[in-house]
Amino acid sequence: MKKILLALMLLPALANAIDLDESGSLKLTGFYSLTGAKVLSGSSQGSSAPWTYQQWKCPCTVQAWEYTGVYEKEKGWQFDQESLVGIQIKKEFSPTLSATAQFVSRALNPNEGSKPTVDWAYITWQPSVDSDFTFQAGRFRIPLYYYSDYLYIGYAYPWVRPAPDVYGWPIYAYNGANVSYRRQLGDSNWAMTAAAWTGSFTQKNNAYYTKIYYTTPTDDSWKKILGGSISVNNGIFDFRAMMMRHNETASQSDPTLGTTYIVKDQPTKIMGISANMDYKNWLIKSEIDRFEQVEPSLGINNVYKYALIGVGYNYGSLTPMYTYSQYTTVNEPIESRKTHVLSLRWDFMKNTSLKVQYDISKDKSRYPYKFFGDSKLLSVSVQGTF
Amino acid sequence: MIFKFHKRVAVLALLLSLASVSAKAELAIIVNPQNPATKMFLSQVAQFYLGGSTLFSPVELPENSPARADFYKKVLEKEPAQVQAIWSKLLFTGKAKAPKEFKTGAEVKKYVSENQNAIGYIDKSAVDDSVKVVALVP
Repeated sequence: MKKILLALMLLPALANAIDLDESGSLKLTGFYSLTGAKVLSGSSQGSSAPWTYQQWKCPCTVQAWEYTGVYEKEKGWQFDQESLVGIQIKKEFSPTLSATAQFVSRALNPNEGSKPTVDWAYITWQPSVDSDFTFQAGRFRIPLYYYSDYLYIGYAYPWVRPAPDVYGWPIYAYNGANVSYRRQLGDSNWAMTAAAWTGSFTQKNNAYYTKIYYTTPTDDSWKKILGGSISVNNGIFDFRAMMMRHNETASQSDPTLGTTYIVKDQPTKIMGISANMDYKNWLIKSEIDRFEQVEPSLGINNVYKYALIGVGYNYGSLTPMYTYSQYTTVNEPIESRKTHVLSLRWDFMKNTSLKVQYDISKDKSRYPYKFFGDSKLLSVSVQGTF
Repeated sequence: MIFKFHKRVAVLALLLSLASVSAKAELAIIVNPQNPATKMFLSQVAQFYLGGSTLFSPVELPENSPARADFYKKVLEKEPAQVQAIWSKLLFTGKAKAPKEFKTGAEVKKYVSENQNAIGYIDKSAVDDSVKVVALVP
């Protein structure tokens, strides 16, 4: 009886990180999303007659740009476009030095199949235990917009996924280094974090460009990345501003024709501001972002604008929310979309959430051909951590 | 006359007994005596438990402890799921590590008394010279 009681007392400890050895310095944690969705209806250029866009049979909707997760109406309920499980292992060598690696296995990964990929792998060092500075080197997700670096940690945000109108890039990681500075602002309840990062990343046969846009295998490379962000929060309000520059080279190689460059060493700027509130059960999430790749001498004027705003309310373990998102390019023929989302999150068990979401999306693009089009999507997901 | 007096005593006794039954133990936010910090607002304390600042290394009690539930409600002012969501974001983006967890208030007190930058919360009645109180949770 005593042993059973002892074991039961230890169960809560298991709910935390799993110790991989007796020293307590090697810990395992993880996260998962089991996501399914069904396209209820859709149309393009005024007609709901089925059409094809690239490899997809539409009505359809792209919900995960980075790995080209697209739901097709004729497939009914699909659980194979966004589901994933991640494992993170952290070794603490000392209170100021640690190494971390995060492996993610996805149901859909055009480049790697469902083989686990190394999404993060880095060393963290602080000059002293209570230092305001933290230095890291290795591989990271790019902390671009508010949810960018934790895009796949579903448990940490209210929706099934952050608005695909705003989130999703051909390059989403960097190999390099970063520094962050964190401090309380005087005697106030405001805390501030400033971060800067630098590095580069190349993805050959980039799925986003190849499958969604160009068909011909396209490589993408973001080099000389230099970005910075500043966040302030006081437990109620949470503001963030970021700016990043990099040189992009997107190219297609042909054994006989050689290399064609879509853009070559093209200086690019991305910036964003986010304002959020969490007060007396009310939640507000908003952001406005911009991508700029301008070179008049080469006729390059790639300016893209993004925005989202969401309002939610916490009823105990339930969080219903309404969110609006949109994006648009500036050059003709424009690519643009507006989406309304109704979502409900239910924290029904410790470290586990169930989410149901309804997206109504309208394609405002002015392409001469049928693009992804309008769609109505129902999504369900169980997302948690361990 | 005597009847009224007895009634008053009875009412008082009832009130006192009710008060001692419903009064929760106050929590004390403690730091190391060597630490220069003196007084803190509870909202500042919350920042150390939500990854807002790494100036202090937070320690806490187990999930099923009433003191922790009290602390979450009165100091963090968030549901456990919300706190977990915040820590998941920080943990999986390499920004911070979750507070160290100890099984008892005595263990929390011992760790704080031995580590200069630690911060923790224990029953007010358990406070002694080995730690310094920087805030009280009503």
